[in-house]
Amino acid sequence: MNTFSYTPSEHELEKASNSYLMSLVALIAGMPLPIINLVATFFFYVGNRRGTYFVRWHCIQALLSQLSLLFMNSFGFWWTVSILFGPETISNKYLAYIISVFLFNIIELIATIYSAIQVRKGHHVSWWFYGDITQIICKPKL
Amino acid sequence: MKKLILQIAVLIAVFFAVFTLSKQINWMKLFKVDKLTKSTEDKLGDLIWKSYSATITEETNYVVINAIDSIVNKICTANDIDSSTIKIHIIQKDEVNAFALPGNHLAIYTGLLQDCDNADEVAGVIAHELAHMQKNHVMKKLIKEIGMGAIISLTSGNSGTVSEILHLLTSSAYDRKLETEADITGVDYLMNAEINPEGLAQFLFRMATTEKDMPKAIYWISTHPESEERAKDIMARIRVSKKKNFTKSADQDWAIVKKELDKE
Repeated sequence: MNTFSYTPSEHELEKASNSYLMSLVALIAGMPLPIINLVATFFFYVGNRRGTYFVRWHCIQALLSQLSLLFMNSFGFWWTVSILFGPETISNKYLAYIISVFLFNIIELIATIYSAIQVRKGHHVSWWFYGDITQIICKPKL
Repeated sequence: MKKLILQIAVLIAVFFAVFTLSKQINWMKLFKVDKLTKSTEDKLGDLIWKSYSATITEETNYVVINAIDSIVNKICTANDIDSSTIKIHIIQKDEVNAFALPGNHLAIYTGLLQDCDNADEVAGVIAHELAHMQKNHVMKKLIKEIGMGAIISLTSGNSGTVSEILHLLTSSAYDRKLETEADITGVDYLMNAEINPEGLAQFLFRMATTEKDMPKAIYWISTHPESEERAKDIMARIRVSKKKNFTKSADQDWAIVKKELDKE
């Protein structure tokens, strides 16, 4: 948890916190498609790309955190599809992969909920790796 | 930038480390996947057999049934296969055909029995089909052709694809890799049971020749292509094994079996 370059307003805190909640939208809707989370977060970012620095910063961090999961989840998703409708069979390797992906999703889920709560309280949360990329991409002025 | 690249590398490394560690755990056993698959296969087999048995007549002649039972038992006992799990069906049909269905159903047409010159040839075909069962080729073929989703939907009450599966298993070939594996395993089964495996090669050779001359429906050959090459492979396998002494399986009885079949 770091301090931000300025103290964001109540309105900004709400919007920034919502960017994390958007990434949970697919999970709440029970959608198995891995791209839905990313699309939801992306559209939220597009809607707020002209927002304040604090809002944009957290929108980008929420968006980036979805990217690595997208690759993992997509691979798992198509592997599952090929088992259900194709020539693949359930193997220990497949189960190990799905469990690993599930573990990473859980970690990301906890981190997302934690960030949403902390940001809403006015604390600036910068994730390891994703926070650093966000810092490079997101500049104070448009 | 260097820091970011390092972080990406760490992230990927952590994922693969978790994945590798996860692979060390036997999830298949933990989630009882094999048991579930077996129960699905049994359900599917019974469903298919129920549908198929309504369209055919099973052989009731005890001489024929006992002869086949004794060959199956001999092969099973010698290869640690539980013969009580094999459901043998001798079907009255002129076509030269034999096939394995899910759930260890083994179907043999009387046309094939009449076409065999001796019990070793019958044992060869049976060993080949048993190998398909034991190596899980039946389910592998089904999963490849129609997918696991359709199989699960079928066993949970959707009966739409039973005829499609039946057609697939009775009149279409396994791929060459699976056929070769079934041939090799079948030969090993026969040798373990002290039955001369040349019977299978002889049967394939004869079928390959007959196929060229006769328009008769020889289904076993149409579902088991490239028989001549496979017969040669089987002979090569026998030569490599250096095993020479085989007790003739039930040869002395085969003339009697054929006589019984001819009566019908």
